Amino acid sequence: MKCTFVPSVCSYCGTGCGLLFETIDGRINSTIPMKTHPVSQGKLCIKGWNLHEHINSPMRLKQPMVKTFGRFINASWEEAIQITADRFKEIIVEHGPDSVGVLVSAKMSNEENYLAQKLARAVFGTNNVDHCARL
Amino acid sequence: MKKKVKKWLEDGSVDVFLGYKMVHGHPLPHCFTLEDVAEVDELIVSEARYSLEKIATHLTRQDPKIKIGLLARDCNQRAINILSVWHQLDLEKIKTLNVNCCPSNLKAHPDCSYMTVETPGAYKQQVGIDNTIDTETADAFSKEAKTIRWMYEFQKCIKCYGCRNICPVCFCTECSLEHKDLIGPGNLPPQVPIFHLVRAAHMAGRCIDCGLCEDACPMDIPLRLLYRKVNRIVKDVFDYDTGESSEQSPFSLIGDSVKLTLKPM
Repeated sequence: MKCTFVPSVCSYCGTGCGLLFETIDGRINSTIPMKTHPVSQGKLCIKGWNLHEHINSPMRLKQPMVKTFGRFINASWEEAIQITADRFKEIIVEHGPDSVGVLVSAKMSNEENYLAQKLARAVFGTNNVDHCARL
Repeated sequence: MKKKVKKWLEDGSVDVFLGYKMVHGHPLPHCFTLEDVAEVDELIVSEARYSLEKIATHLTRQDPKIKIGLLARDCNQRAINILSVWHQLDLEKIKTLNVNCCPSNLKAHPDCSYMTVETPGAYKQQVGIDNTIDTETADAFSKEAKTIRWMYEFQKCIKCYGCRNICPVCFCTECSLEHKDLIGPGNLPPQVPIFHLVRAAHMAGRCIDCGLCEDACPMDIPLRLLYRKVNRIVKDVFDYDTGESSEQSPFSLIGDSVKLTLKPM
């Protein structure tokens, strides 16, 4: 049996609390606050304490879904991206670039967030960019 | 210490050994195995405490046959005792390597993060309960002052369930603190003081006074003091030494008979 403790940072908000993921045989079993972390000093809120739950949740989406005729239908990534791009194009041509906005997430990395705002500003041509951690 | 752990892993008296290792400058719990026996050279005794026995119960749940060795301070020892008394760990499958912690007559030097407590601010001392006082001082307040001071502490609660999640002796699969008739879901602060008193009642005859709950509390509620008081009552009324006794606490309600017997006067 292999048990590991992987240090990580909570992805729920901008505070950046330190935590450990306890994994048993490669499966995340629980979240433990990191005692010596300079930000959180061994304390977590309820969201941080349950961070491991969404990873193994049966509700978790593992592939994109496209809403067709009011129902969500599984799609491939290429298909989903193509549909999104086409719809964005349509909306921007019809209502102008400020009719769309980008809301990025703390669940992504800093670099991915940077790329998302770049997409919004350089490709869509809008300043409507916000982040879920800026509550 | 390292030699002993290596020997244990090599002769198969333990399958895994739970200790601490320095990772990126942080002392983190680590699971040493025979495959990576060279890692044992990095084994340290960390001042920051993690509940290694709780991890041991997780491992045991996955594989009941696993033999686990772990670094144990006095509080870990008491927790292991409670967990074995309540059939969560099998003492025959647990090997402990005792390390120094709290100061005593034999060991003057404390080796635990809890020993360096922060003094609470002036406001908390005025209207709340100082985390560092003992149960006698806390009992000395008048009835009204006690209610106001404890309620001040309880209403700070952000319901993170950290006290329960980190507790080494909290192993129930169904928790009263999540029962919707007892603790209404979605309310903040949670039903005070019911939330804390339910937990305190459940800590009677269970709490081994390790202080991890207070360490993990983001709002600095003096939980350790509260559970100490509860266990003082258990000691005074039922003559039960929590963590030291090899029997289940008098609050064991499962079985043929309930053995709530009072301490002889």
